[in-house]
Amino acid sequence: MSGLSELDQITRAASGDRAAQAALVNRNMPIVFRVAYRMLQDRAEAEDVTQETFLRAWKALPDWQPKAKFSTWACTVALNLCRDRLRKKKPVLMDELPERVDTALRPEEYLSSQQTLKGIEANIAALPERQREALSLCALEGMTNIEAAAAMDVSVRALESLLARARRTLKARMIGVLAGEKQ
Amino acid sequence: MTREKMTVERALELIEAFGAEPGGWPDDERDAVSALIEAEPDTFAKALSEARALDQLLLSEASPEPSAELAATILANAPVAAPTRNSIFDGLSSVLFPRGVRWPAGAAFASLMMGLVGGYAYASGGVGYDQADAVYYAAFGVDSDETWLSLE
Repeated sequence: MSGLSELDQITRAASGDRAAQAALVNRNMPIVFRVAYRMLQDRAEAEDVTQETFLRAWKALPDWQPKAKFSTWACTVALNLCRDRLRKKKPVLMDELPERVDTALRPEEYLSSQQTLKGIEANIAALPERQREALSLCALEGMTNIEAAAAMDVSVRALESLLARARRTLKARMIGVLAGEKQ
Repeated sequence: MTREKMTVERALELIEAFGAEPGGWPDDERDAVSALIEAEPDTFAKALSEARALDQLLLSEASPEPSAELAATILANAPVAAPTRNSIFDGLSSVLFPRGVRWPAGAAFASLMMGLVGGYAYASGGVGYDQADAVYYAAFGVDSDETWLSLE
C-alpha cells in the first residue's frame, strides 16, 4: 500500500478498500490526534475531534479534489473543531482577548510570575491559540510553511510571524532550561 | 530566492521562525540562507546556537499517542464497498451450497434441473398429445375431448 500515491489511496478508500482506509488512518490519525491534543489538552476531547475529523473525511472522499494533502485537509478540519470547542469553553474571553499577551519581550517579569516551568509541554500549552497551532504544525509535525499556512487558513507571512512569536515566548519562558541545553 | 537577494536580516528572521535546521526552512529560500550562513558563519553563530537549543527542547516534547481503539472506531465508520456481481454469486452459492460448491453434487443438481425443465416443457408443449388422442379414438371411436364436453 505504501507504493500507492495518496490520490490512489484515497480513491480506493472511498470505494471501500479496507487496506487503503487502514493505511490512510494509520498515516494521518496520529498527527490529527496530537494536533488536537495540543490544542485541547484533553485526551478524550482530542479523540472526539479525531473521530469527527475522519467521519467528515469518509464523507468527503468520494468527491475528493487533490488540492491539498490529506494531512493538511485533516488538520484544517481538526483545528476548526478545536477552535469551536475552545470558543464554547471561553465565550467571553475569546471575544475580548483573542490572543494572550505575548510575554516574550519581558522574560524577567515572566520568570518572576507565579507560573512555574513545568516542561516544554506545559509551556507549549500556555502559548496563545494561534501560536500553538503554528508551532504544532510546523515545528512538531514537520509541515512545510505552505502546508501549515493552508491548514490554518493564514498567509505564509502570518504563519512565519506566529512561529517567531511562539519561539520567542518559549525561549523567554524556558531560558534556564535552554542555558542548560547549550552547555 | 537567490543568494544575492538574501539578506542577513531575512536569514535571521527565518532562523527565528523555523529554527536552526535547514530542513525546516521554506523550500524557496533554503539554498540562499544556507549559502549566506556558509559565507558569514560568525554573523549567524549566536542565532543558530539559540535556535538549535530550542529545537532540541521541542524534540523532547512528548504528546500522548492515540489509543488503538480509536483507529478501530474510525475504521468501523469507514465506507463499505458496494456489492459486486461476484459477491452476489458468492452469497447465492453460499446459500445453495453452504459447504462450498462441489462439482459432482453440482453436476447432479444440474442434471436434476435439466430433467425437470425438459419434462415440464415436453408436457406443456403438447408433444405426444396427438398420439394418445389417436389411440383413444381408435379404441372408442370418439374424441376424448368431445366425451368430456358432453359429460359436462
